[in-house]
Amino acid sequence: MNATQTIAIIGASGNMGGAIAKSLVKGNYNLLLQASQNEKVTGLVSELVAINPKASVEAIDCSFEASWEADIIILAVPYTAEKEIAEKIKEVANQKIVISISNPLNETFDGLLTTELSAAEELQLLLPNAKVIKAFNTTFQANLTTPVIKGEMVDAFVAGNDEAAIETVSDLVKTAGFTPIVAGDLTVSRTLEQMQLLLIKLTIKNNYNWHAGWRILLDN
Amino acid sequence: MYDIYFANFRKRVPLTYEEEALIKSYLSVKKVRKRQFLLQEYDVCRSVIFVEHGLLRSFSVDANGSEHIAQFAAEGWYISDLFSFLTEEPATFNIEALENSELVTISKLAHEELLEKCPKYEIFSRILLTDAYVALQQRMNANISKSLDERYATFVANYPDITQRIPQHMIASYMGTTPETLSRIRRRMASEK
Repeated sequence: MNATQTIAIIGASGNMGGAIAKSLVKGNYNLLLQASQNEKVTGLVSELVAINPKASVEAIDCSFEASWEADIIILAVPYTAEKEIAEKIKEVANQKIVISISNPLNETFDGLLTTELSAAEELQLLLPNAKVIKAFNTTFQANLTTPVIKGEMVDAFVAGNDEAAIETVSDLVKTAGFTPIVAGDLTVSRTLEQMQLLLIKLTIKNNYNWHAGWRILLDN
Repeated sequence: MYDIYFANFRKRVPLTYEEEALIKSYLSVKKVRKRQFLLQEYDVCRSVIFVEHGLLRSFSVDANGSEHIAQFAAEGWYISDLFSFLTEEPATFNIEALENSELVTISKLAHEELLEKCPKYEIFSRILLTDAYVALQQRMNANISKSLDERYATFVANYPDITQRIPQHMIASYMGTTPETLSRIRRRMASEK
């Protein structure tokens, strides 16, 4: 039995943060739900305890403190807020896994704000001694609640440069109910972020109900 | 966050600012709460832990479920399951926080890279391992050749600041005796003073 890992979800009051917390609460993790005000996540804390009464879940208002206690840090904040958070947590994120879930969408949802580098690579530059892993960016919030669509388990792509960190995050993705697909090193995040832009554009154009997802079809 | 870590380092090996920055980039800091585990038996021990603040213990559990404490680590001490860390075999020990603690940890990969990149770190690691070996030899010799009274006196001398912070039954476990016997020894020593 592994010593229980502590996961800090930074921005737990957001839709994605809350959905990720719910999908991880059945795993063997201590969850720290960070929001600028504790009141914003008290509802979430009781929801999580209702899902798993044995869960170790706590609200915390300081991203620095949350990251200090964490083994794994999930940045569930919009792309535009990542820089400020990264500066705050830099010292306590050293050598830790930091999961980048964001898609750097523009205001009209039809393009990306990034140019050459992906959001994940930019985050890695801001946190040079952390192990940045891209994950959960190709999944909609609805997928996190229901990771199976018409009997098919949705794939979740994972990219990063540190092998052990990729393995840990793949386990986490499995706990959340997805099939983890290791897509490659952190530069592959560029493709992953473009993939979700495409899915968002198609969802808007074709009126999918925001419960669409990626799945590689296999003949075996 | 790293103050005691580097003070402890510099006491043995002086460092330049650049060397300190290099070593720092490989370290991780972690806050843990009382009763939180850092390592569980049968898991592979992936890091060496330095205690910046607080108190940890390492212990094994026998077939009857009894705990046997191998080591305590307070401010300025290192703790790990070195056998598991070095061989990547499952750990013999559990490591648990006895108080809310602030730790500095170094993973095996980071440790190995630093050994390559930073000669001062290599010297420091050698001193650390030598010290650990000497401490182990002394503890082993005391266990096979000294009386419980002598061993308790040594414990109080080695851990003067933390004797008060550790419950008596844990000190008894560390010494390989029962709390009742330890309490008799303490009474005897107090009356002899």
